[in-house]
Amino acid sequence: MTEYSVIGKQVHKVDGPAKVTGSAKYTFDIELPNMLYGKILRSPYSHARIVNIDTSEAEKLIGVKAIVTGKDTLGIKHGVWRRFPELCDEEILCREKVRYIGDPVAAVAAIDEDTAEEALDLIEVEYELLPAVFNPLEGMKEDAPQLHEGVERNINVTRHIEWGDADEDFEKCDFIREEQFYSSPQAHVCMETHGAVADFGHDGKLTVYTSTQSNYYIQVLVANMLGLREGDVRVIKPPSGGAFGSKFELDSAQFCASLLSQKLRQPVKIILNREEEFTATKRKTPMYYYVKVGAKKDGTLMAKEVRVITEGGAYTAMGATALTLTGFYSSLPYRWHSYRYDGVRVYTNTAPASALRGFGAPQAYFTGESIIDMLAEDMNMDPLELRRQNAVTPNYEVPGQAFIQSCGLSECYDTIEKYIKERGKLPPNHGIGIGNYGFMSGGIFNWFNTPYAFSAAIVKINIDGKVDLFTGACDVGQGSDTALSMICAEELGVHLDDIRIHADDTDLGPPDLGAWGSRQTLMSGNAVKMAAADAKRQLIEFAYAKLSPNVVYDMDIKDHQIYIVDRPERKASYFDIVKEVIRAREGQVIIGRGHYTPHRKGMVSPAWGFGVQAVEVEVDPETGKYKLLEIVTAHDCGQVINPVAVLGQVEGATMMAAGGAFCEDQPADNGRILNPSIADYKIIRSLDMPKTVGIEVDTYEPEGPFGAKEAGEGLTSPTGGAIANAIYNAVGARIKELPITPEKVLKAIKEKEQQQEQKEE
Amino acid sequence: MNYHCPVCNKISPTAVDLVRHMMGRGDLIHRDWINSKGFNYSEMLAAQLQTFGSQEYNRLAEVLEQEAKEED
Repeated sequence: MTEYSVIGKQVHKVDGPAKVTGSAKYTFDIELPNMLYGKILRSPYSHARIVNIDTSEAEKLIGVKAIVTGKDTLGIKHGVWRRFPELCDEEILCREKVRYIGDPVAAVAAIDEDTAEEALDLIEVEYELLPAVFNPLEGMKEDAPQLHEGVERNINVTRHIEWGDADEDFEKCDFIREEQFYSSPQAHVCMETHGAVADFGHDGKLTVYTSTQSNYYIQVLVANMLGLREGDVRVIKPPSGGAFGSKFELDSAQFCASLLSQKLRQPVKIILNREEEFTATKRKTPMYYYVKVGAKKDGTLMAKEVRVITEGGAYTAMGATALTLTGFYSSLPYRWHSYRYDGVRVYTNTAPASALRGFGAPQAYFTGESIIDMLAEDMNMDPLELRRQNAVTPNYEVPGQAFIQSCGLSECYDTIEKYIKERGKLPPNHGIGIGNYGFMSGGIFNWFNTPYAFSAAIVKINIDGKVDLFTGACDVGQGSDTALSMICAEELGVHLDDIRIHADDTDLGPPDLGAWGSRQTLMSGNAVKMAAADAKRQLIEFAYAKLSPNVVYDMDIKDHQIYIVDRPERKASYFDIVKEVIRAREGQVIIGRGHYTPHRKGMVSPAWGFGVQAVEVEVDPETGKYKLLEIVTAHDCGQVINPVAVLGQVEGATMMAAGGAFCEDQPADNGRILNPSIADYKIIRSLDMPKTVGIEVDTYEPEGPFGAKEAGEGLTSPTGGAIANAIYNAVGARIKELPITPEKVLKAIKEKEQQQEQKEE
Repeated sequence: MNYHCPVCNKISPTAVDLVRHMMGRGDLIHRDWINSKGFNYSEMLAAQLQTFGSQEYNRLAEVLEQEAKEED
């Protein structure tokens, strides 16, 4: 194992002091001179035509400064999937019709929040109700109400992935299993709700302060929607209180604040309340899964066929990506001889479904890991051995899709097998279930249609040796500022506290696609490493001339010393060389540039993280209630950059995944979410959480900076399936719908008992 | 015999595979071609999602096979 100076060391987060002392200023805290406060009026109906909006009474209210509706916009429909214009379908402020309860219809700017709220009640909107559809299976029918003009059967997006001949391979199988599953919606429940402060100046330039996963996306989307040039929009990301996939699309707070500010030439702040957060922002995509798998009696997994119908909600958002990725993840992490996936996304009159940590993987692995256990039982085979026998391996090519370089699954299986053996015989009604996964380290597809490199960075070395690192990567709490600073410090041979990262401002840093799909450690990290290497090269060139080593020798920088690698006693001070280089170049600062875009790395991702998880549960067969006792995950994230951050990611991802499997749901009645509050939306709490153990398996990813790859999002993947398998192993109850509630467990136990009684009769 | 997609020229080893490509691509130009042959893209897709296998796509595959023979 390579010994690094900075990488792999336990360090505090570079933004930690500001956060723990309370000095960090979040979007909510931003106050600007002459700032107004905005509120948004939203549709109370699932599907309706807007006949008329009368704002006259609201405008008379003292303190109201401006009201905007769809008529005040350019009528542009936006979307993140810009490569396919037909998927850019969201106006935000609706002009002609509303498509879900919560769809924005007007926005008010006033001197304070209460006045803005009062003004909302005075806006009269006349609606013509339209028939609505809430379930995608109904939405696909020929006679279903149509949400978007020209979209037949409300089929918004289709995806197809295939290799081999599944029909032919099923003929060769000794065991075949067909099952149906359902994965429920889930809310992100970030501590910080969506919000923005928009400041449109008299110079025609807009500044938006907003909690976001991608400054760049918001810059481009806001510019487009307001008819501005991208360069006239500046997006500044304050510290973020969580995102998890909810904050890299243009949202109603950002757009309405910007539009109002543009009209008034005054700053406008809009912060969504918790109810809006639950009802009017994007959520995890609910999915209906139909799965068929087949295997030979020697344990070879032959064929898998998957059909998925997703509840898209009213607009595309990032749902197209979730549909694509869930189809690919359904094939992982096994070497299927043939595979076929057909997926459709169907518009429904519900809140738009989009990305949530895992991005289609939790759904895929809940179904995939459940059915693998079922197949193993049919085959009378140990489920861990069935997985191990068919798992992907290093340097495996998923046919036509992806090339996997590093893969630590084998070591992960060994680790989990050891854990299970050490647990020994379990008490009654206890069960251990396993699940495994593979997850991307950033996506290759350029659906945003950016002309820029996916990631870029600039390193500037100052006369005193301090380093400014400029990047567009976004830290949303996962610690990318720290990880990227560590990568920069390691490459440059300086200390972590020599680095000052600037990652918040589109005016300062080069574009970066942002924090989604677990891309930043690998993609932004590679860009930072390249930039640091570029700056280092300029120092070493000068040091080479100064020290005049034999041409066969290399030089490097470590711990502020520039030295000859094979003759480390011959060295020069980093600080001295910096000064001399700047003087020798007529005072020019030292600038290093880096960028990264994956090329010829397949269709999906340039690198993959893997893991195996074991969950132990205890079930009360009288009530169906169950406890999560312990969750152990062996995972392979390549070289660990910051061990403390990885631990946080393991625990956080496990908690989020466990919540999705254990209790989180958004029941709705005719499109109205019934639990839009923290009190009613059940999330897993610290008292519910089991002991959580994360064990890193040592691998090295050639594509990643210093061998690193993703850690944290993939870990949301296996838990649903592992819990379902654990409950089955405990009490013989198989649950195929998330969340796995006590009611479902009890019902399954009763059904099993009835079936047994019938057999005995 | 290889089959060329009449829209984007992608090569598929079988006609059914070509149908899957065209249906899966899902963009407007592929859909328009399929609809121009007397099929309804959305109906085919909805029907295909009801069962495992390729039944719905076989009819379009037959058309593609016939057109390939005519070109030969």
